[in-house]
Amino acid sequence: MAATITGGAAKVATDAVAAATGTGNAAGVSAVSGASQVAHTGLALVMDGIEYFITVPMVYLSVAFLLVAIAAKLVRSFRAGPPPFQLALYPVPRHPLIASLRDTFGMPQILKIEPLFWFFLVMYHVGFLLLILGHLDILSGINLVPPESRHMLGAGAVGVMVTLPTFYFLGRRFRDANRVISTPGDYLLLLLLLFLFLFGDLMSWGNSWTASGFVMTKADFARYFDGLASFSFADPRTVLHGAHYHFVVIHVLLANLLFITLPFTKVVHAFFSLPLNLVRRQPWKES
Amino acid sequence: MEGILSPAESAALKELFEKKLNGVMRMYLDTCARCGICVESCHVYASMPEVKYTAVGRAEVVRKIFRRYFRMQGRFAPWLGEVLEFDEATLNAVYDAAFSCTGCRRCMVHCPFGIDTQQVMAIAKALLIGADREPKVLSMLADMSIAKGEGIEETRADYAQALKNLEGEVKAIWPVPEGTSAIPYEAKEADVLYVALAGSHSIVSAAAIMNAAGEKWTLSSFEAVNFATFVGDSGKAKRVAQRIIDEATRLGVKEVAVVECGTAFRYLRHMIGPQKFRVVAFVELIDRYIREDRIRLDKSRLPESVTYHDPCQIARNSGIMEEPRRILRAISDRFVELRPNREENWCCGGGGGLVAMGELDFRMKSSRVKADQLKASGAQIVTTACENCHSQLSDLNEHYGLGMRVEFLSHLVAKALVLPGERFRR
Repeated sequence: MAATITGGAAKVATDAVAAATGTGNAAGVSAVSGASQVAHTGLALVMDGIEYFITVPMVYLSVAFLLVAIAAKLVRSFRAGPPPFQLALYPVPRHPLIASLRDTFGMPQILKIEPLFWFFLVMYHVGFLLLILGHLDILSGINLVPPESRHMLGAGAVGVMVTLPTFYFLGRRFRDANRVISTPGDYLLLLLLLFLFLFGDLMSWGNSWTASGFVMTKADFARYFDGLASFSFADPRTVLHGAHYHFVVIHVLLANLLFITLPFTKVVHAFFSLPLNLVRRQPWKES
Repeated sequence: MEGILSPAESAALKELFEKKLNGVMRMYLDTCARCGICVESCHVYASMPEVKYTAVGRAEVVRKIFRRYFRMQGRFAPWLGEVLEFDEATLNAVYDAAFSCTGCRRCMVHCPFGIDTQQVMAIAKALLIGADREPKVLSMLADMSIAKGEGIEETRADYAQALKNLEGEVKAIWPVPEGTSAIPYEAKEADVLYVALAGSHSIVSAAAIMNAAGEKWTLSSFEAVNFATFVGDSGKAKRVAQRIIDEATRLGVKEVAVVECGTAFRYLRHMIGPQKFRVVAFVELIDRYIREDRIRLDKSRLPESVTYHDPCQIARNSGIMEEPRRILRAISDRFVELRPNREENWCCGGGGGLVAMGELDFRMKSSRVKADQLKASGAQIVTTACENCHSQLSDLNEHYGLGMRVEFLSHLVAKALVLPGERFRR
């Protein structure tokens, strides 16, 4: 229903522009996009400034903060010294490192105890890795997906791979003992992720719900990312067209918030899971 | 506000907390995703389903203090992680967490990150000691062990005499040649120092088995049990263990064999650092004697069905799992496994100092799942290799009317010893 309304409205706009200017539909799309670049005044100007801050300087600040804070946390934890004695569990696997990798990436304990949770965890983590890859692929130098493609990696499926499990994780938090052990921070983190993913989905799926298909293509996003990578400080508004732009801004804002809060959340398990599993699987040499 | 500790008291507790923050501990405290996978792991929760009796429920008490005093969240958004200040209510919660946990580490088997709740509880116990709220009986027992070490020279002659009085019981199981001591003490040429407990039950059978195997052994002056580990006092635990280390070094033994006592064994095996001697569990020694054909055992003397309870500190926390099974198969045709077993075995519910503290009502209620497991085995005898487990299993047997017999593994082996020339069934 939403798709029909959105697509219908855009079609009306592009048709009107095409009719008024006597040009084809493509030119109409261009004209609508161009309309978003008219000079703003007053509150619109303030909003432009805020949107620019979110999409350019804040990205640098939040990514830099993420890297520094994570590095500080890792250094502090790894330099705090070893435990006073070995903490391994038995029996010791034949190859402790392989067993630790299996624990970390295969989560066999969860598969055994709660298979449905395991299924969504695997879907989520694989999806998250693809998501990172998909975003890197937007940079013009990589191109796992051809640069002329309208779609990004997964054509929207990757977003679903993380969104669906996040709904499941959130629902699971309200169940039985999980509700008691959950803190407000657990719910907020999941909500932050959920809305981040939903706005991402909106860009990958909703972006194609316009009458004439994609307004923002992979090439458009590549121009924005290349601008960030080259520190050009260009306003992304000049390369990302249409009404969906505001969704891009919200998506980037939520991503920035995630980057800033991530070092303080349990998401650090991404870094600590393997070392801790090694502690469990690898006994110290016997005296 | 009532119950709030003074700034000086809070600062002192914070300092104690900080001393425990090694690298792994920091990761344990930061990493938990509160996924809830450990919820069903704890025998206490399985018997009394309250979230405070789960691994995550207990560890969260410590984490909430950690977030309050060591994380920015505690200053800027305490509500996010529901942080806890040092006050009466918090210290009560810390006590409940620390002393409802037996330190069995079954939850660590199931945690996707391998978080060790026993280690997290070590912080809780350190805080309780700092706040002078630890179970006094455990501290007192630890102090007595240390005092015994300091005054050993004054009591040595009395102890030697007591051992002489006990020799008859050993000889009744396995005779020794005239002029030979059935319980060697202070033997300079010994290969093995056997560390028993305060009680003849931990000496007689073991002595008979070692004599039967022709072992060159000597008995320690000290009891193996280390109550300081239960109370969480790492300084005292070292002093208790040091008595045995010094004795083994002075006597120049190759091995220290630890009586059937899980915590004592794990502490000496894994927590004292490299030494000139090797630490073995007594069940390892028995298994070695059987494999080397140094003792012969008669299966016909144990007609009842028998099962084995893996003591947590000996099995999943030290790796002694197949040895007791080999021993049982050498003395019985009717050995049945508990389900689950080995690293997945349910804790008996008596560890972490609970048996020494009494706590009968809690121990019985919190170990219903263990009683159910024992009953389901259908075995007539449950045997184990840990004093604490033996006491707890005996209490469970009586409380739940299981109608089983609880035996030390070494006692069953001693009863099955075959004298030279005796007919026996392998």
